[in-house]
Amino acid sequence: MSLPRKVDPISTTLLQKIKECLDSLNEKMEVMIEIQKHGQRVIQDGVPDVLDVMTLLSLPDHLRKTAVTLCKLDHATADEVAAQTKRARAVESSYLNQLVLMGYVKKERRGRKAYFYVEKEETQDGVKESWEK
Amino acid sequence: MGKIVAIHSYKGGTGKTLLSINLAALYANRGKSVALLDLDFRAPSLQAIFKVHDSEYWLNDYLNGVCEIKKVLADLSQAHAKRGRLLVGLANPSTEAIREMTAKDRKWEMKALGRLLSLKTSLLNDAGLDYVIFDTSPGLQYSSINAIVSADVVLVVSGTDISDIKGTQRMIDELYELFEKKTGLIMNKVLTEVLSSKSERADLAHKLLNSYNLPMIEMIPCYCDILRAGNSTIFTSENPEHPFAKTLDRVATNIENL
Repeated sequence: MSLPRKVDPISTTLLQKIKECLDSLNEKMEVMIEIQKHGQRVIQDGVPDVLDVMTLLSLPDHLRKTAVTLCKLDHATADEVAAQTKRARAVESSYLNQLVLMGYVKKERRGRKAYFYVEKEETQDGVKESWEK
Repeated sequence: MGKIVAIHSYKGGTGKTLLSINLAALYANRGKSVALLDLDFRAPSLQAIFKVHDSEYWLNDYLNGVCEIKKVLADLSQAHAKRGRLLVGLANPSTEAIREMTAKDRKWEMKALGRLLSLKTSLLNDAGLDYVIFDTSPGLQYSSINAIVSADVVLVVSGTDISDIKGTQRMIDELYELFEKKTGLIMNKVLTEVLSSKSERADLAHKLLNSYNLPMIEMIPCYCDILRAGNSTIFTSENPEHPFAKTLDRVATNIENL
């Protein structure tokens, strides 16, 4: 019977780092493939466009689904969008990143997670509405 | 979890407001908690029907980000709901407000969409309402498309006029389907002769089913009693035994099951 091999903590960190790099590379490649496939207009000058209903109507079906879901969720990771659309996380990640490149969606990193949102809006008085039921 | 129902049409004068008010009252009389919102900012009408002459906050203010939704809602349960709760959110009927709402830019419309979408959390989750009913503007304009995108179910009302039928069909194909909306169709003001003849009724129903392929289709005759009442009262509450009230009762049940 062979004993389980002791894993070197440095190797674990290294493997984790390699995995993150590969994930990031994969994400970028998926975005490039999507852009090539659909020939979408990419905002080059960094000026964001507006994701209103008329824009939603003009998007291809697969991107519209992602964009509408993000509008509903307000602020979400690719995982959270994928849970709603029932599509793979990698697919949603690619669509969300494409929407970012098109200037309709913004992206921010919090630690390891990437959050996507359409437009931040300040809540009134910073408090949640309370209701008498 | 409750539902947001948008009542929409391709053309004006199809009976959206009549259906919205009566559907809201019907649910409230079934013991449900309902909010009826007037999203027809070009031609607000609920304030006249419910005889509310002034309001501190309007739905316009909510969409402008000036106030919370609960400040807009007037509780009319005592006067109009036998068992449940009926809250009403009004659109500002002043000419200045109407003009201002028609001149909004795309960025404002995008924020308005976000605020309408957040009603699902504030009204259905937090306030615990069973139904939110949007009475919308006719046709394809920002406020009505925003309402459709934010709704769970869309009830489209059409007359029997050929231009209305064709326009409605296009709207279902090119708008509701793109947003994957559960849609029901109401053919309103159908000639009584058509509905009283079994063969003509079956023929029309068959034609509609073939054209629209929707899960819920109802046909409502043109009732002189309703025209006579002129939206001055909630017709189904005053006349619960009227055939119109019976049809709407069926529509309400169908929406619950959609």
